Amino acid sequence: MKVTGARELPIKPERAWELLQDPAVLSKAIPGCQSLVRIGENQYELKLKMLLASLSGDFLGKVTLTDHEAPTKFRMIVEGSGKIGFLKGEGVLTLSSILQGTEVAYDGEAQIGGKMASVGQRLVDTTAKLMIKRFFKKLVKQGFGQDPDVEDEEETDDV
Amino acid sequence: MIPNSFEYSAPASLSEALGLIAAGGKPLGGGMSLIPMMKLRLAAPEHLVDIGRLTELSYIRESAEGIHIGAGCTHFAVESSALLMGKCPLIAETANYIGDIQVRNMGTIGGSVAHADPAADYPAALQALEATIVLKSAKKERKVSAAKFFIDTFTTALKEDEIVSEIIVPLEAGLTGTSYQKFLQPASGFAIVGVAARARREGGKISLIRVGVTGLSGNSFRATKVEAALLGSAGTDAEVTAAAAHATDGADASSDLHASAEYRAHLARIYTARAISAALSRTA
Amino acid sequence: MATTTTPTTTKTEKYVGQRLRRREDPRFITGTATYVEDIKLPGAYYAGMVRSPHGAAKIRSIDVSKALARPGVIAVYTGQDTKNVGGVICGADLPGLRKPHHYILAVDRVYFPGHPVAVVVATDKYIAADAADDIEVDYEVTQAVTHPEKALAPGAPAVHPEWPDNTAFVFHQVGGDPDKAFAEAEVIVKQRITSQRLVANPMETRGVVADWRAADRTLHIHTSTQIPHLARTLLSIMLGLEENRVHLVAPMVGGGFGCKLNVYAEEAIVAFVSMKLNKPVKWIETRRENFMTTIQGRGHVDYYELAAKKDGTVTGIKLKLIQDLGAYHQLLTPAIPTLSVLMMPGLYNVRNIKAEVVGVFTNCVPTDAYRGAGRPEATHGIERMMDILAAELKMDPAELRRKNFVGKDQFPFATATGLNYDSGDYAATLDKAMQISDYAGLRKQQVEARKQGRLMGIGLSTYGEICAMGPSPATPAGGWESATVRIEPSGKVTVLTGISPHGQGEETTFAQIAADELGVHVDDITVIHGDTAIVQYGIGTFGSRGTAVGGTAVYIALQDLKDKITRWGAMFLNSEDVHFAGGVVTDNKTGQTVALGTIAAAAYRAMKLPPGMDPGLMATKFFEPSNFTYPFGAHIVVSEIDPATGQIEIRRYVAVDDIGNILNPLIVDGQLHGGVAQGLGQALWENAVYDDNGQLITGEFMDYAMPKASTMPWIESAHTCTPSPVNPLGVKGVGEAGTIGSTPAMVNSVVDALSHLGVRHIDMPLTPEKIWKLVSTHAGSQAA
Repeated sequence: MKVTGARELPIKPERAWELLQDPAVLSKAIPGCQSLVRIGENQYELKLKMLLASLSGDFLGKVTLTDHEAPTKFRMIVEGSGKIGFLKGEGVLTLSSILQGTEVAYDGEAQIGGKMASVGQRLVDTTAKLMIKRFFKKLVKQGFGQDPDVEDEEETDDV
Repeated sequence: MIPNSFEYSAPASLSEALGLIAAGGKPLGGGMSLIPMMKLRLAAPEHLVDIGRLTELSYIRESAEGIHIGAGCTHFAVESSALLMGKCPLIAETANYIGDIQVRNMGTIGGSVAHADPAADYPAALQALEATIVLKSAKKERKVSAAKFFIDTFTTALKEDEIVSEIIVPLEAGLTGTSYQKFLQPASGFAIVGVAARARREGGKISLIRVGVTGLSGNSFRATKVEAALLGSAGTDAEVTAAAAHATDGADASSDLHASAEYRAHLARIYTARAISAALSRTA
Repeated sequence: MATTTTPTTTKTEKYVGQRLRRREDPRFITGTATYVEDIKLPGAYYAGMVRSPHGAAKIRSIDVSKALARPGVIAVYTGQDTKNVGGVICGADLPGLRKPHHYILAVDRVYFPGHPVAVVVATDKYIAADAADDIEVDYEVTQAVTHPEKALAPGAPAVHPEWPDNTAFVFHQVGGDPDKAFAEAEVIVKQRITSQRLVANPMETRGVVADWRAADRTLHIHTSTQIPHLARTLLSIMLGLEENRVHLVAPMVGGGFGCKLNVYAEEAIVAFVSMKLNKPVKWIETRRENFMTTIQGRGHVDYYELAAKKDGTVTGIKLKLIQDLGAYHQLLTPAIPTLSVLMMPGLYNVRNIKAEVVGVFTNCVPTDAYRGAGRPEATHGIERMMDILAAELKMDPAELRRKNFVGKDQFPFATATGLNYDSGDYAATLDKAMQISDYAGLRKQQVEARKQGRLMGIGLSTYGEICAMGPSPATPAGGWESATVRIEPSGKVTVLTGISPHGQGEETTFAQIAADELGVHVDDITVIHGDTAIVQYGIGTFGSRGTAVGGTAVYIALQDLKDKITRWGAMFLNSEDVHFAGGVVTDNKTGQTVALGTIAAAAYRAMKLPPGMDPGLMATKFFEPSNFTYPFGAHIVVSEIDPATGQIEIRRYVAVDDIGNILNPLIVDGQLHGGVAQGLGQALWENAVYDDNGQLITGEFMDYAMPKASTMPWIESAHTCTPSPVNPLGVKGVGEAGTIGSTPAMVNSVVDALSHLGVRHIDMPLTPEKIWKLVSTHAGSQAA
């Protein structure tokens, strides 16, 4: 499945680039990331716990950052497998300066397999989009020195 | 189709249930989404707290605030309620479109709303009705508007220890017409798009218009651009069609095997126009 | 032995032809039928399968230690343990056919998603499932190929490394002089037509209970199958057992549609485990396993060419058929597309044909027989091509068909593909369908609708099929059928049939036949099937053969038995001039009678026997059909398309079917309705989709769309009757008719609705999005 889109981040491109290359930041931005341990040059072992609605699944995999054209372009590969299936996302992220800060354009492919693929087909697209949204949100929060795991209170207000 | 082992509680009262949930139990309504996920081993909750059997949550009653629908009401109870059919037909009509008769006999409104499937039917109607969702935990009760409740794909304002306890829908004034129009996915019966419209006409002009959309993207939403375009107009076919073109404004249309993003967006515009036209035809 | 007898009820009214309710139904409706899952043997273990999540991978290692450590786990076996068990057997053969060895558990590679790699045995099914999750298989994933044309492309990944071209066989068939026909053709039309993969989806999934009794050295198997005796033979070969030490039972079977016309790896795996552990072992397939690992149907890419004269006479057909076989051959996999070739000319008098079938391996579950098996694909192909030719010639599609029909005075008719059509009056079914639907009126309505910008379509298919399979020389395992009819000492009647009904209702129809022949009440008849220890060897139920072949066997056994009864009666009445009718033997001169019950009691008491007669009263007969039967019909679908969304509405469905004589119209209606539903399922909704990475992405009912009662049209059903001369009952078979006739009628209707926009063909399933895109792109290009 194609995954393309762009997000506007209210931070400068240089800062965005920094954040995107920092494993400590990535580990807190990748939704469900339990640990990210360096195993080589720009390569990390990933432990992931996916929680969405009642779905839960543990994944073991790898994050690879490659094809760097600092400070505007690199390739990110996330792969993992677990009992509920396997996933692989690979894409080129391109950063450009805009008035509001940075536009990050992503262009890639997402693959899922195993049980998730054969029973969750209708939700792959929305879920991928949700995860990307959460990723950038948690990334930006860290850019502002905030705790990425604290939910915004404004999301829900009582009537 | 063989789930992991789990503990199951069928508490006798709501307060007991909320206590179990506060202790980490997972609430179970009709089980129409959760049980299949468990059987596929995509979900493995350790402790299920069955709130679908609580009579305390099974009621439909009227107050000055509106009509209160207990979370434990089945879709069938909602679709066949004389009170709802008379005073808030949109929610009854929407319930009638859910799944099939077996699903409607088992599934509950609270379970569906809490699950927040991006293609579920209720969210469209609840957005259009500006309904209120009542959330309850062992500690407190709070009310959240539908617009704030549905945050994203399977993501709601519910906290870990809370359940949806009640839905409050408005008592419709005399000249309000409503309609839910759905293009259904042939396998699952979920909405590829579903549009709920609610309109009032006074002096030949549209004085109230609310449009709720589900299925199009990762979350249900109010098509406010469509509403703005129609408010104050006569609601002619041409005006409705032109306004409906805004149904997809700002929405990131989903794509799957059953409908590409392009087709989904197209259907959303068509079904928005159809829902509004049907609602307007019922304002007389 | 007691000699008192209960007089058998006698009846003169005929049962055959009546709408008798199925006597099977009470047990199904009340949930008291015994399926494999209901077989509960004391101390039985439960097996769970570990399956590949990948379409193609090498197995580096399998770690079973965690599973073995789990309390309640008895054993785990992998491909290394089972590699000496015989492979899954393919019963079909073709010249040069490449047959990969089909190990019951994968040994070093997996070839399709769902491929079993290990079996876990535990004390209950929950522990078995937990333990299956515990097993860690280290895969080296390789590139899969899931589409047959992609598999044929140069450089495609090899499904079986030893055959890099992925080609299992190439089969040619030529009839007449097709090259000359095409050289001399005034019109040639060509079209690529696909027939997607379908999941059979019986309500009951597969299941096996195997019980090895070491002391007796016998294996008792309950399995959900359409072919109990063949399954016993094949399993005994795979397991290296003597066949007479294997007892196999097909209990109630909740649908098969061809997918249980097979012997699967799991049946041998469960038996293997039972023999290893000396314990009964049960395995019930989950729905998800059923989607992934039970054979699927169809899977064609066809390239058709039709040669014709300007007046519409079709002179030649060329077909290049690319069959997606999947990763292995199941029982009949490579034979299925050859049935399509036989059916190529449909009901038309076309003397020149040329076919090339390419069987292609892919990393998908094998294809095999699914309701219609080869014939729906062929019928869809020729019926689509007839419409395309009609459009090319600007002829009415009904007129074009009528022009090319084999005439009713031409039977028996030898086709260019080597068949011999038994009987028919094709124009009569078309006439009747056109009359019921008011075809001329519909065409007028269509003109009006188009003026209003509405999209109304009228589609027809005039289909034929090859049924009552079949003459033994033309079938892979013998095509005869057997029956035993036994009058019990009480005079009650037991019928043992070699077919294995799983929804076809033969417990009712065979009782009707026997009751009429013996002149007894239908309730006096019991029909038994499916147990190899009770029933004499039989072939099974598939290919619309149950009644036409199995029913005929019952009928001829009854004739034999009636002859014996008559001889017993002659002895009783001390007269040679007697006849048997209405349950009594009557002396033609004196009018004296002796009842069947009296004769039966005497036959078992055996105080005195008629000359040359044995004690007891029974007859066993085998019926070997001299030919297939060829039912046919005409279906008309009226559809209307919402131009804004592409949504299709079926306004009318008219079906006129000629299936020869009808034994029970109620059961025939049911068969046709179910068949039409499955045919419309293919046309409109169903699709087994594999992605390019070897994943089945429609692996549940969430995404695999089945026809539902609420999405079915009202079916206006009628019949003509051309009895088959092939069997004394004059029946042709109805199990597959609806599926074959409906698919092209539906597609033709939708294409017809869009034809004025220049649309000529649409591949199935006809999703609203496809239709919407066609309407959007063709709008404004309205043909004159």
